[in-house]
Amino acid sequence: MRNITTKKTKSYQLVNRKVPYLFILPWIIGFLVFTLGPLILSLIMSFYNWPITSEPTFVGIDNYKTMFTADPQFYKSIIITLKFAAIFVPLNLAIALILALLITQPLKGMKFFRTIFYLPAVVSGVAISIIWGWIFNSEYGILNYLLSFLGIEGPRWLVDPKWALLTIVIASAWGVGIMMLIFYTNIKGIPAELYEAAAIDGAGPFRQFFSITIPSITPTILFNVITSVIGALQQLTLVLLLTGGGPLKSTYFYGLYVYNNAFKHHQLGYASANAWFMFIVILVLTMLIFKTSSTWVFYENEVKKEGKKGRRKNENIKRI
Amino acid sequence: MKFVEFKSVFFLLIAVMLLLVGCSSSAGEKSDTTKDGKVKLRFATWDVGDDVTLQQDMIDKFNESHDDIEVVLESYGSEYDTKITAGMGAKDAPDIMYMWNYPQYKDALEPLDSYLEKEGDAYKDNFYETLWNYNSADDEILGLPVGYTTHVVYYNKALFDEAGVDYPKSGWSWEDLQDTAKKVANKDSKVSGFAFSGKPDPYDFEMFLWSNGTSYVDKEGNLKGNLNSEKSVEVFEMFQNMAKDGYAITTEGSGTTEMKSGKVAMFVYGAWGLTPLKEAGIDYGVVELPAFKSGKSVSILSSSGISISKNSKHKDEAFEFIKFWTNEDANKERIGFELPVLKSVVESEQLEQDEVKSVFYSMLEQSDGYTPASFIVEDWSKVSENLQYTFESMLNPSTLMNPKEALNSAVE
Amino acid sequence: MKISKGYKIIMYSLLGLFSLYFVLPFVWVILSALKTETEVFSYPPKIFPEVLQWKNFVDAWSSQPFGVYLKNSVIVTVMTTIGQLLSCSLIAYGFARFDFKFKNTLFVLMLATMMIPWDVTMIPLYMEFKMFGWINTLKPLIVPSFFGSAYYIFLLRQFLMGIPKDLESAARIDGANEFQIFYKIFIPIMKAPLILIAVLNMLSVWNDYLGPLIYLQDQSKYTLALGLAAFKGVHDLQILPIMSITLVMIVPPVVIFLFAQKYIVEGISGSVK
Repeated sequence: MRNITTKKTKSYQLVNRKVPYLFILPWIIGFLVFTLGPLILSLIMSFYNWPITSEPTFVGIDNYKTMFTADPQFYKSIIITLKFAAIFVPLNLAIALILALLITQPLKGMKFFRTIFYLPAVVSGVAISIIWGWIFNSEYGILNYLLSFLGIEGPRWLVDPKWALLTIVIASAWGVGIMMLIFYTNIKGIPAELYEAAAIDGAGPFRQFFSITIPSITPTILFNVITSVIGALQQLTLVLLLTGGGPLKSTYFYGLYVYNNAFKHHQLGYASANAWFMFIVILVLTMLIFKTSSTWVFYENEVKKEGKKGRRKNENIKRI
Repeated sequence: MKFVEFKSVFFLLIAVMLLLVGCSSSAGEKSDTTKDGKVKLRFATWDVGDDVTLQQDMIDKFNESHDDIEVVLESYGSEYDTKITAGMGAKDAPDIMYMWNYPQYKDALEPLDSYLEKEGDAYKDNFYETLWNYNSADDEILGLPVGYTTHVVYYNKALFDEAGVDYPKSGWSWEDLQDTAKKVANKDSKVSGFAFSGKPDPYDFEMFLWSNGTSYVDKEGNLKGNLNSEKSVEVFEMFQNMAKDGYAITTEGSGTTEMKSGKVAMFVYGAWGLTPLKEAGIDYGVVELPAFKSGKSVSILSSSGISISKNSKHKDEAFEFIKFWTNEDANKERIGFELPVLKSVVESEQLEQDEVKSVFYSMLEQSDGYTPASFIVEDWSKVSENLQYTFESMLNPSTLMNPKEALNSAVE
Repeated sequence: MKISKGYKIIMYSLLGLFSLYFVLPFVWVILSALKTETEVFSYPPKIFPEVLQWKNFVDAWSSQPFGVYLKNSVIVTVMTTIGQLLSCSLIAYGFARFDFKFKNTLFVLMLATMMIPWDVTMIPLYMEFKMFGWINTLKPLIVPSFFGSAYYIFLLRQFLMGIPKDLESAARIDGANEFQIFYKIFIPIMKAPLILIAVLNMLSVWNDYLGPLIYLQDQSKYTLALGLAAFKGVHDLQILPIMSITLVMIVPPVVIFLFAQKYIVEGISGSVK
């Protein structure tokens, strides 16, 4: 059997078994000290009625029962949140990628544009909500004022339930600079030889994009997909400060629903049950994305060197 | 072995991290006393800006005159509720807190009746009576009144002058308001005659029902037969029609933003608007709320009080401070930010003669004897959320639900 | 490579279009910060202030002890960045470059920590920090960063997964120990993503406001973000101070970004070859 031992396992035999754990030890300590306790406590809390200002009482699974059977807002908020995520995540990824590609163009002034696109991500959430509230005010806002010059009567952005969700999407896509930067860092890391070789083979910019750029940045695509799904499902700050969930609860996202149950209605036990439900949903969703990721994410360190063409066909991939 | 060397470097790193954690935990000072042995009292305020600066000055004065107490100010602005809720949940609430929503926080607050008894009746009587009701819950006084506001109609003098319309006068009715609004409104220059919130806070809105002789709930807290009573429907129809007719607009927030644009002739608001509107360069006047045909002009009170946390370890010292905070001098100092709540101060400062402030006091006097639904209904925050949704569905220009149907379905 | 003129035009018009969306609200903030109260709210909107109100900045800055806030913000931002860089580079390296028992379980567990809604763990965490005696100190904001944050670990791991395995195999056979491989070979390679993480962390910590709100109490401990939020009351919005402090606050992150750009541009594999 010895003769079929690959180079890979040989290399690993040189590693002391404890070493990997030493590297991740800081995280393990941090998890035990700062995360595990509060996490378990919030799970326990979800079986209590806890009005915050007075003592908690044990209610068994009542919170979960109420949530699933007697609280219509629970389902409404889930649907709104999913709708938002379904629009926001793909749109945000697309814009981030397009921007990242734009600023890698070998043209003049890229440093300037890079900074411009990044700029909004630097503005604090409190200010952002005020700015957008101003811009979108339907009677005396700037946007509708500008539109009136074009002869367009602007919609009631934050008042019309049909428009409000879109308005939130527009406002939240403003901070796309961070995701752009992540893509950008990855794209910049693609070896130039790959493009040169492809150009010699006669591949145009489109072919190059799909056969080199996209496969090379799949790891950060995975990262951005997962983090923006989490971000979208937990979106709170903007709706809390800009719309308060309105108009007519059309932006009453799940994050706001949990927040209001906890801090406005002082039902911390119930809010914990809400939060644990969402926690499980996101966890399952993330696992699913990871499961499918083995078919579309390519990691260099798990692939035998077979030249760039062999990348996709490789079977020797063990992933989570 | 090289591995050993690596391990030692690694453990050194971990040790540094743990040291950081360890050291820092021992450094924390004891929270209820200061270094020089004074009793430390935490005082949380929701105010912002210059108001906080003034409050800090007043606290400094208090601290100077007390060798054994040191009050530390904490200001949390619009996130005040989040902060003190978190503090209460972790049993670490500030000793002294500004408070208005007593029904919601009552279990975390120290009842003050026994403290007040020691002060004697004259002490209590100097405050406006109505205010005690607003600073209580379940028949216990939970806070000393600091300030209050009633609601009044603000009007933009410039727009009235432009349209050649007389300023509104006290004793007017809603019909008068509508007539005036129609006259001042001007489509071409985008002037609206009247503005009211398209998403009103149910707490505030109840005054209009009172004014028409009804309320959200009866004494037992039943919505049915009250919220959907004929008189209540009348109120909502009136507001809806104003928006439909086009001379009035619904606002996205309280209406201050719209009012500040200089394009709104009138809106209903509390004393909070006095300074901001002046700063925005609006030349305004204020007048009592209009009355309904069969009713009278009534306002809800938004009162602010100062309370002691039930978990405070130094309640006597805390009471000493809140007494200081509500005494005559304090009321006078705050006069630029809060309407004084002591009769003696109103008299000595001649506020009844003040063209603007007297309006708030006359609204206060004619609004005695009403109890907001938030003090009657258990679970008001949930009820209020549902009410707000119903109100919005009637007043939002995109839906404009029929008031009768909307209110009928709301009571179910 | 020659770039055609048409291509250039398309690119620049795209860039211009996106710039409008990103920069216009921003320009509005700058203009507003320089107006008087009356001009800010007037309708029809006044685009340019009649007289540039530079004193808005002075007034806003002096209305609260912003010097103290600045000091606190800098301490928290610098310390957490050091913490994140130290811990995340180690942890991400561990997850990306080794095979070990429970690796996948632990990794999923780590990802899961990103998904916990903040609202419900906040109060238990508050209690814990209170037990440590950390409330009203900067420690709750700083110390956890020394144990890594899932977001950055995950990000860094994605970059590390993209580096061929032969790199450390060769070094191992040459007898280098694991820490040497990490420190001497990988840290230089990771420069771009590490700088990226530093930039992202500075940004989020600099603007974080819920953390400071919950764990800090008196003004001497406040951060800039908290000071900014303090201009917003329940009934009163002090628009000019908010706009001017917002503008002051974006200067440090933008300057750091301008410096960091140089390294991020290098990309990750620049030094692999």
